[in-house]
Amino acid sequence: MNKKRLGLCALGLCAATLSQHSIAGEDLFGYLKGAEALPEGASELYQKVTVRDGKSVGSYQGIDFETEYEYGVSNKFSSSVSAKFMSLDTDGLSIDGYLPGAKDIGFKASGVELGMAYMFLSPAKDDLGLQASLSLDYDWIDKHSGYDKDTLSLELGLQTQKYFMEGELVWLGNMGVETTYADRAPIDNLPEDFDWPTDPEMEIELKFGTGLSYRFAPNWFVSAEVLYETEFETEVGQERWSWFAGPSLHYGSANWWATLTWLPQLAGGGEQFDGQDTDLHLIEKTEQEWRFKIAYNF
Amino acid sequence: MSDSLLSNSLWFIPMAFVAAPAVAADYLSIPQAQQLLFPSASSFIERPTLFDSGARSAIKSHAGTRQRQDHQPIWRVEKDGQLQGWFMVDDVIGKHEYITYAAAITADGEVMGIEVLSYRETHGAEVRDESWRANFKGKSLKDPFKLDEDVPNISGATLSCRNLLDGVKRLLTIHELFLARES
Repeated sequence: MNKKRLGLCALGLCAATLSQHSIAGEDLFGYLKGAEALPEGASELYQKVTVRDGKSVGSYQGIDFETEYEYGVSNKFSSSVSAKFMSLDTDGLSIDGYLPGAKDIGFKASGVELGMAYMFLSPAKDDLGLQASLSLDYDWIDKHSGYDKDTLSLELGLQTQKYFMEGELVWLGNMGVETTYADRAPIDNLPEDFDWPTDPEMEIELKFGTGLSYRFAPNWFVSAEVLYETEFETEVGQERWSWFAGPSLHYGSANWWATLTWLPQLAGGGEQFDGQDTDLHLIEKTEQEWRFKIAYNF
Repeated sequence: MSDSLLSNSLWFIPMAFVAAPAVAADYLSIPQAQQLLFPSASSFIERPTLFDSGARSAIKSHAGTRQRQDHQPIWRVEKDGQLQGWFMVDDVIGKHEYITYAAAITADGEVMGIEVLSYRETHGAEVRDESWRANFKGKSLKDPFKLDEDVPNISGATLSCRNLLDGVKRLLTIHELFLARES
């Protein structure tokens, strides 16, 4: 392991350790969001690490880091702010229009995000919980290629949640629509005939997800979630679609919680790159993702 | 999985910290809760009750909430040989761990009071406040047992509040089905 990787591991460990002593909502799943609001005056600090791995050929690994602070403005309304960082290590892979070639980014600030959520119905009190969320995301690095790209996204989400068996079994349903404006910076010395459009583009992404979480012992939950994502882009129409599904293990206690999720891509379609040896969509997605979240309530 | 992903799996070392056991938060023992709820009682006669599947079904049918435990700790409370009421210890599901509480029920099937023996949740420590627990006093199966109607909700601890409310209704149902004839 090189020094850079060792440094990143140490940083992650420090962040997690800090989380235990200083730093909670509670995410039973890696990707799905619940519909229960933080109470007024409560705060929550999250550290999320997502590993995006594999594009069937060459080597590709991106790691996304997100530090988020959420505050309960009222018993139904919360707001959040996130700082995002990333690393990327890819080699032996060239995707026309998307990935010019090898890239190795150690650890870089990559974006910021503002979010808010309003709970219309409480899952524990009204039987079925219902929450709407809105987030504004600005990124200056393209998470797929690692090259400079200004991206402004607005996402509107709807979350439902229902408790069964007095809360031992939890069902979530999510849907969301994300609109994105993206503008890539020019790159010098591109490979001959490589397509790298620098005209601004608009994209619309639809997201649907559902999952079940079961508390198999006090403090411990095991969950499974299924996600469907599809994106429509200027001049292309439906650019891609993917199905993901995977398990999560969650531990929650009075002050902190953590969730570990594995999410492989099960099926995908739309644009593909020359040379990929599966039917998945691997231009903007990867074969699998791992996500670890740790959070502290205060 | 690629070699580089394996090396990065060190990111998940924090799970070792996560696996550390939680600190228990037990506030009252059973004798302490008995003394608080029945200060003038002279004897607590333990008569633990074992429910078979038929009894559990009957409780669920009447209370609307399932009876998870076969064994329900119950004490007959007397003063100078006279029945004062019933003392029951129960567990309900909190967000993370079980909430253990005790309820005092009169011979006529009314709640005299509740005490929280252990509570370990992120939010809602107010369930231990006397002012919140006082909302249970006098409740009987004639009451609707609705959150924010019978007892106020505590934000951030809605599941705990609902399960405690449902739990007390279930204990009153147990009293009606199995204890009232002894009163």
